[in-house]
Amino acid sequence: MLSLSSVTKRYGDVTALDRLSVTVPDDAYVSLLGASGSGKTTLLRVIAGFEEPDGGTVTHDGRRLDGVAPHRRGIGFVFQNFALFPHLSVADNVAFGLRYREDNPVRDAAELKKRVADVIHLVGLEGLETRKVTAISGGQRQRVALARTLVTEPRLVLLDEPLGALDANLRERMCDELRAIRERLKVTFLHVTGSETEALLMGDTVAVLSAGSIAQIGPASSLFSAPRSADVARHLNAYNVLSGRVRKGGFEGAGGRFPLPGELPVRDGAPVEIALRFDRISVAPAGKGAAGGASIPARFIASEFTGASVLSFFRLDDGTLLQVVAHLSGPAPRSFTKDELYDLSFNPQDVIPFTERAA
Amino acid sequence: MEARVLKPVLGVYCAAFILFLYGPMIILAILSFQGPGGGPQFPIIEWSTYWYQHLLGMTPPGRISRLPIGDSLLRSLTLALMTTVVSTVLGVITAQGFRARFKASGVVFYLVILGMIVPGVLVGLGMALLTNMLGIDRSWWGTAFVLHVVYTFPFAFLVMLAIFNRFDRSVEEASLSLGVSPVQTFRRVTFPMIFPGVLSAMLFSFTLSYDEFSRTLFTSGRQLTLPLTIYGTFSVEIYPNIFAFGVLTTLFSFTLLLIYALLMLRAVRSAQSFKGQEEAE
Repeated sequence: MLSLSSVTKRYGDVTALDRLSVTVPDDAYVSLLGASGSGKTTLLRVIAGFEEPDGGTVTHDGRRLDGVAPHRRGIGFVFQNFALFPHLSVADNVAFGLRYREDNPVRDAAELKKRVADVIHLVGLEGLETRKVTAISGGQRQRVALARTLVTEPRLVLLDEPLGALDANLRERMCDELRAIRERLKVTFLHVTGSETEALLMGDTVAVLSAGSIAQIGPASSLFSAPRSADVARHLNAYNVLSGRVRKGGFEGAGGRFPLPGELPVRDGAPVEIALRFDRISVAPAGKGAAGGASIPARFIASEFTGASVLSFFRLDDGTLLQVVAHLSGPAPRSFTKDELYDLSFNPQDVIPFTERAA
Repeated sequence: MEARVLKPVLGVYCAAFILFLYGPMIILAILSFQGPGGGPQFPIIEWSTYWYQHLLGMTPPGRISRLPIGDSLLRSLTLALMTTVVSTVLGVITAQGFRARFKASGVVFYLVILGMIVPGVLVGLGMALLTNMLGIDRSWWGTAFVLHVVYTFPFAFLVMLAIFNRFDRSVEEASLSLGVSPVQTFRRVTFPMIFPGVLSAMLFSFTLSYDEFSRTLFTSGRQLTLPLTIYGTFSVEIYPNIFAFGVLTTLFSFTLLLIYALLMLRAVRSAQSFKGQEEAE
């Protein structure tokens, strides 16, 4: 089990990690979602020991890690750019750690050969052993990087945007393989990514990193359906976030007024942010919004066809942008006229209010 | 101007430039094949390899004494080799140190660079005065050697600095994360990857030292290095044997360059630099 407590890291005036605390369980796939600049790479580098924190502690299986040299931490690291040894062949890249590590290097040639062959088989690189790592494809390099780390049998592997350098369909295949390999080896993967789909797809547990600390951590499905802050909702890229004030237990703001579900623990007039899922909104011509629900008037801007669904953009009077997703498996979506006014209707029960950090 | 005109003009200019560059060497090479009775100028009385034989002591002793270069050649080669090793090691270590920002790194940088900027005559003279004051004997392997290192170390340092500038640190971090110690990481990862740069630094150091005149002039003491010996023969009378020797040294230098090129080619082939990994960023 890896646990970080109150870890702080500053670069000059910039605080990359701000009293961050998180616990990563054993034998789990944890994905860490964060926008660029949220400190996610810094977090991995602090855990691996390439950077020392300015405050806080890092412990792994009960052993204090901060202050320990990187090569004595026993934590694997897979780099975004793979960072393969360009002067070595595929097999020598994989054998590198076993051969040269300080602690318990493998000196027996036969054992070395067998362990390298095993892991090369595990990641599916058979036949490429003698190739130069400069003479193989991006996906194969990714496998070499993974094999090189896994062969040393770390209990915890940090993956820094490991799929970022791959093209789309390769990325999907690697996703499945990463999960399968991890389950077979029973190690912990901490996978950092800027893509919410990747984070939700990969992680048994998803943590959202925002402004240098963990905004929320939980199982992928519950995190997706119940974000605990507007920040998390924004990171998931599936929610419209509107800000306004509380009026008589309801919402009043740019989109007009509508009731909010449940009891709010704040007084009248307090600031509130609400999140509304892209796919929980239906669009009707102005004045024809579904009765019984809430509805916001907005002007249509543009649509994006993304394959299985259509993403439409609307603008409120005050300039706030709203997104609506219509899945093509449902009733065929109408096409809309640019700059025309429409009613965006939704069930007020689907609205998630955040009163805490709204300003 | 149109490319049609520009291209031939530039071509002629380039050819003239190269001719100007190598002209003196070509003249020297031609004159080295002068006959036994000829002097160090045109016309060539008779084509022969007499002066090469004279240089190597294969002619019967005659009126013209042999070039006294045997010992000084050996001294110069030894000195250049010593300088190469020390300067390159220092250059690699210093450049490695400069990879991490440290306090006063700017000042240290200029202090190192000073060694190649300060006029050689001044440094040489200063060293001579200093050793006089301190009562230290001057020698090619002592005082001159120190100045050779002071002079060539900045070159080696700059070469290595440029190499490290483009070095992808994550490769070293990858090695550390596999449990390999920093010393082993340098030996197994960093050094093989910077080896082409190390070769360049060695070549710089060797040629600069082998050729050094002004610093050595004041500090080598009684035993002279090759450039000083050759200069010394000028004050008596010049015979074509000096040209023959010039041709032989040039050939030696080319051999060094050829070895360098071959080693470089091998290193670059095996490392293919970081191509493909940078694409990923």
